[in-house]
Amino acid sequence: MTAPLTDLRPVYVVGIGMHRYQYMSETPYVTLGLTAVREALADAGLEWPQVQSAYVAKAMLPMAPGRPMLRHLGAHGLPIAHVENASASGSTAFRMACVEVAAGLADVSLAVGVDKPAKVGRAEALAGIPSLAGDAIVPFTHFALLADEYARRAGVDGVDIARVALKNHNNAAKNPYAQRRKERTLEEIVGGRPISGSLTALQCTPVGEGAAAVIVASEAAIKALGLDAGRAIRVTASVGRSQSLYPNAASFDANLTRETTAIALAQAGLTPDQLDLVELHDAFSVEELEYVEAMGLCAESRAVHELKEGAFDIGGRCAVNASGGLIGMGHPIGPTGLGQIAEITRQLRHEAQGRQHPNARKGLAHMVGLGAVCYVHILER
Amino acid sequence: MSAAKLLKPHLYDAADGARPGAACTLRGGRCGRCGYVFFPLQRYGCERCGAHGDALAPATLSGQGVLLASAAVHVHEGRHPAPFVVGTVQLRDGPVVRTLLDHDPAAPALAPGQPLQAVLRSAGIDEDGQPLLDLRFAPTTA
Repeated sequence: MTAPLTDLRPVYVVGIGMHRYQYMSETPYVTLGLTAVREALADAGLEWPQVQSAYVAKAMLPMAPGRPMLRHLGAHGLPIAHVENASASGSTAFRMACVEVAAGLADVSLAVGVDKPAKVGRAEALAGIPSLAGDAIVPFTHFALLADEYARRAGVDGVDIARVALKNHNNAAKNPYAQRRKERTLEEIVGGRPISGSLTALQCTPVGEGAAAVIVASEAAIKALGLDAGRAIRVTASVGRSQSLYPNAASFDANLTRETTAIALAQAGLTPDQLDLVELHDAFSVEELEYVEAMGLCAESRAVHELKEGAFDIGGRCAVNASGGLIGMGHPIGPTGLGQIAEITRQLRHEAQGRQHPNARKGLAHMVGLGAVCYVHILER
Repeated sequence: MSAAKLLKPHLYDAADGARPGAACTLRGGRCGRCGYVFFPLQRYGCERCGAHGDALAPATLSGQGVLLASAAVHVHEGRHPAPFVVGTVQLRDGPVVRTLLDHDPAAPALAPGQPLQAVLRSAGIDEDGQPLLDLRFAPTTA
């Protein structure tokens, strides 16, 4: 018989740290990663020797970046595992750290994501199965096709879809860890460089680098190590799924999101309207509209209407991508899912100066990755 | 003059000969165990039930379909210089495919529901200078 995470020992986020996401630079990945880990240790009030395992999420760095980075905190011999799950690498590393602590195999575990831009192919291209136009359809074109289909189904246009990017750029402008910190107007976004379909450059996540670190701990560790229980945030759901066969094969991201989020909400005993905060995978603007509907945050085809009413703003009914999301904050890949956990934790602690969502108590983090795979976590105060 | 070559002969066929404008069928597969119809043909295993090898048989799929969505691509690296138009097509025989459309990227977009037919179009020449043909889905009236 299997059980959800919450049937095992309670797991808490006790420390978060980031290196801001930024355009590619000369900064070595070790600097990016150590910045995030040291910030998380200081935030938790922990010393490195107290961390018992490390999951290092990365998708673009070559083999084995973990120990060359972590040894500079002190080479104490903790187990290190690298995690690659495309865009969902960081979220998957977080799940693994949570599972290890929940199962009682560790009391304190680190999940750190770090990455620098590099050309990395998809293994699927080596599967030996040809396609009609696979080489012509890269992610922004996949989502341009979805944007076309969504616009017609929901009775909206490309400008409406671009409003997601407007919200997320302006949220990111308030976030010191974000890659894109310029306030934007709708005209600038819509009038920018066309990429594919109705998607313009500012509606697509940028390429960049960065790091994010999250430390999780058991109740026993919080007590024994004298950590601040008032700032510890409970992980109440952790779910991973992969794409299965759906009636409409083209909308797999939305179907996968619907399924994974429903399981997570059931694990936490929540309904979508009880969520105060959502960080979701908005690599392309249309995704936020598809996913808020798939998650049940609003009715089918109503996302643009709710967006225009301010329902998803900081201060609205449910703040979606208060961090700026992938569009505003960036998507360095390895760190991204962990950056979402850091943002939700900051918000639930009411420490998100300048972009605090009032009364934030329950947050959901969602990532999809090539495959497709989907990981959803719920955090509660 | 030698007949033009198909760019991806494992994926489609033109029963009436390989020339620009010829109608195509698609080389799909059918699972003998569960009946799942898929494109393209592969023998690794059925995505619905896992049956593999001889359980998977070739199935010729009609080149007729209906447009679900399209996008004009403005930026692309690689084989296809932008701009070009891609589409999501529901084949008459079931599978949903992503494909290049025979449509001017500067023209107004085709509407979902538009009937389409798979046809061959010129696609450059190969390294020996022989003309190549590749599949495009083109709008039809029926």
